[in-house]
Amino acid sequence: MTNDVKPLLQVRNLRKYFPVRGRLFRTVQAQVKAVDDVSFELMPGQTLGLVGESGCGKSTLGRALLRLHEPTSGEVLFNNEGDMTDVASMDKAELLKQRREMQMIFQDPFASLSPRRTVAQTLLEPLETHGIGTAAEREDKLKELMKTVGLRPQVLHRYPHEFSGGQRQRIGIARALTLNPKFIVADEPVSALDVSVQSQVLNLIKELQEEQGISFLFVSHDLAVIQHVSDVVAVMYLGSIVEMADAGELFANPKHPYTQALLSAIPVPDPKTKSKRIILGGDVPSPMNPPTGCPFHPRCSQATDACRSSEPVQTVVSPPDTTDSAPDAGPHTVSCHLYAP
Amino acid sequence: MNTAVMTDNTVADAPRRTLWSKAFYKFRRDRAGMLGLGIVLVYAFVALGVWLGLWATGWADVTGPKWGPVSAEYWFGTNLIGQDIFARALYSTRTAFEVGLVVAILSTIIGAVFGAFSGYFSGGITDELIVWLMGVLDSIPFYLLVAAIAFSLGDNPYAMHIAMIATFWIGTARLVRGEVIKLKEYEFIEAARSIGVSQIVIIFRHILPNTMHILLVQSTITFVAAIKSEVILSFLGIGVQDGMSWGLMISESTLEVLAGFFNNFIAASLLMFGLVMAFNMFSDALQDALDPRSVS
Amino acid sequence: MSPGVSQTLLSVRDLTVEFATEQGRVRAVDRVSFDVQAGEIVGLVGESGCGKTVTGLSVLGLVPRPPGDIVAGEILFEGKDLLQLDESGMRAVRGGDISMIFQEPMTALNPVFTIGAQMTEVLRLHKQLSRSQARAATIEMLDLVGIPAPAKRIDEYPHQLSGGMRQRVMIAMALSCGPKLLIADEPTTALDVTTQAQVLEQIVKLQSQFDMGVILVTHDLGVVAETCDRALVMYCGEIVESAPVGELFESPAHPYTAGLLSSIPRIREQRLDRLPVIDGVVPDLLHLPPGCRFADRCERANSACRKQRPDLNGESSLVRCFKPLSETKAGGAS
Repeated sequence: MTNDVKPLLQVRNLRKYFPVRGRLFRTVQAQVKAVDDVSFELMPGQTLGLVGESGCGKSTLGRALLRLHEPTSGEVLFNNEGDMTDVASMDKAELLKQRREMQMIFQDPFASLSPRRTVAQTLLEPLETHGIGTAAEREDKLKELMKTVGLRPQVLHRYPHEFSGGQRQRIGIARALTLNPKFIVADEPVSALDVSVQSQVLNLIKELQEEQGISFLFVSHDLAVIQHVSDVVAVMYLGSIVEMADAGELFANPKHPYTQALLSAIPVPDPKTKSKRIILGGDVPSPMNPPTGCPFHPRCSQATDACRSSEPVQTVVSPPDTTDSAPDAGPHTVSCHLYAP
Repeated sequence: MNTAVMTDNTVADAPRRTLWSKAFYKFRRDRAGMLGLGIVLVYAFVALGVWLGLWATGWADVTGPKWGPVSAEYWFGTNLIGQDIFARALYSTRTAFEVGLVVAILSTIIGAVFGAFSGYFSGGITDELIVWLMGVLDSIPFYLLVAAIAFSLGDNPYAMHIAMIATFWIGTARLVRGEVIKLKEYEFIEAARSIGVSQIVIIFRHILPNTMHILLVQSTITFVAAIKSEVILSFLGIGVQDGMSWGLMISESTLEVLAGFFNNFIAASLLMFGLVMAFNMFSDALQDALDPRSVS
Repeated sequence: MSPGVSQTLLSVRDLTVEFATEQGRVRAVDRVSFDVQAGEIVGLVGESGCGKTVTGLSVLGLVPRPPGDIVAGEILFEGKDLLQLDESGMRAVRGGDISMIFQEPMTALNPVFTIGAQMTEVLRLHKQLSRSQARAATIEMLDLVGIPAPAKRIDEYPHQLSGGMRQRVMIAMALSCGPKLLIADEPTTALDVTTQAQVLEQIVKLQSQFDMGVILVTHDLGVVAETCDRALVMYCGEIVESAPVGELFESPAHPYTAGLLSSIPRIREQRLDRLPVIDGVVPDLLHLPPGCRFADRCERANSACRKQRPDLNGESSLVRCFKPLSETKAGGAS
């Protein structure tokens, strides 16, 4: 970093393991390492795109940051007025206050709103829980939120089932904005929407990035969506980040074999580009039974003996390309034996 | 803000349709259910009248002959002592509703709360304790338990009610627990947690209202079960102590039947059968109408 | 792709399917007509609610009735109208001449039977093979779809396989009797991207090997571009455009198709500031406008578009629009 603006979020060696208990005596038999030693930084106003397939741990990571899952170990340092405080070790009272800075947008528009509460009730709940504003101020806030997400205030008294998927997703976004958070985890916010609605919601998110300066952790399996909204991109596989770089750099020079395969696997809506597909062998592995050494080696066409036996270390492939217009540029890192120093 | 399109014109202009109105519409088309509801309402009206003192006030009066036949004055004849069977049967309707409502409402509430806590904290100590409690109570034969409670409570006129509530809550609790285990994985619950809503508030504000379809149906089932149980308990002498009920009437009539007089028995059985049958039809239709898979 | 003369395998004419709902009857599929040639992969594309899945289900008589009801149309398979067949007649066709694979491999396979049991059942039903013959044929099929160690896997249960594997088992089951037509309903939507690539490759390979006709129902235009020869775009129960895939993507004629293509997020060299958007929402099927169903959301719509419903026009490529984008397509009135 060439400037001395502190990061908004610093994640250090975050781990989330789920114990697998035996059936009879409930002793812990094994651990599902859903998130395994993840570290990254996020600057204010920056969006980190987290991409990966099912079982890679990206959703778990997002939830662990908000302590919807309790982290097993590691630190989640959040910039509160210059102090980097660890969210992972806060007590209940501190955490309640902290929640005002960190919110979440969920994937399923049909399951993320309580079916028996009106839109108004859903949006008021954060304000009531934190005791913010008088009745009149809350009413104004709700109207403002509805306008921000492009819905008319008249529909505040309707129930979720009266709206379409795209509209419900907007309500979910409005809810996340209620407390004026600095950081939002967006967990696959457009994956469940129709194609023609996706672009509307993505544009809304871009507006929030630009006009309100909110930092996002944008989780998705769709690389095209990730490219559209992210400044930095991290690729996850079986609980670890295997590659991370500024968005432009990652899409131009993907280094990790998995990233390359992922990029080539996306069906392109253009019949002329019969891409040279890298078809991976095998299936996405289950985090309960991870392979030895590099977790990707069973499917990697370039695997060596080192890959099978030892875990790769994170290496910097190219240094940050900081310019005046991109002061927050980060390095391009890969966890792969092919690039080991 | 230019690209966020105002997309909700159709929503704002459409007529309000709550989940309840959808269910209501569906229920109305079920003829058996509507018939059942109609009959239940008639019974309820009768019970209300008795409670207000409008009719059947003379149910205990000894006015007629012993075993009088069906006549214009005594619609079902008279019993061994000379009391009006029809009046007694009508009075018993009030008892049935009283027992049914008290037991249904209270056991549903208790079952809902226990089931919700058990389900929300499933796998934890709370859940283990509640499930253990349900198992213990369930393994004691119902009538033994009632007898024990009635005996220990002595003259308390609500001994029977308490005994029934103490056992009927379990059925509701189990169903609610199962539903809550599913519900708590929904994202709107995660959303509430991410806002900082406390767990108790989540249970009462978000989880329990979404079990209403179960609670409504369960309360009707419990209502019927309470009435049927009361019959047997009164027959055994540990049910209704003062007042009159169908169970007591049937109990009285055992001697009479041996002597060839059936009116008492028939009157009580008929009325009870009518209510139970109608309520069951209503309950089935209600369950179909409230099925969240077809309503939501 | 079969060389020489290809016969018309399937011919759907004016198919109309309605559903009874609480608020009235909804027309999910409205006078849909199209052909499928032997050895051709046809994509049926559209968003949720456009009627593509119901169209696919109708071919095999799998639309639940009630509440569904096929009110009009014919579905000619090798000249025979499938809609006139009774249930036992349809059962002879299903799995034999026409097969289907579904979206959710989780629920399409019976969890309490081994995959071997399920696959041999199909073979013995349609081809009257003996148990050992069916088992041998099944192992061959599993190998063909790329399942490693098929002789072992044949005795496993669905939950022991991953999503991608289960989908391949479904494909194997669907192809085991050598059908002439395969209907694939969103076969890869529930799969990861890398698995999707494998499965699609498999489908294309098997299609050319068996020389089958394929109807691929999907909402993913990328999938259509990669696998299909021809594509039909559906909107609100109607076909709004039909063209060879190259043409469809290069010069879409219908404004909806063009709108879809431009609003899909895709990997670009220079990322866009804002994605193009199709204004408005899909109209409620209960309250359809009198004219063109897309008029409300169309930048090019005029008063004629809102008053009268356009017909499907054209020769090899068809479009339902009074003001199509490409001038070479025949317009309707105006």
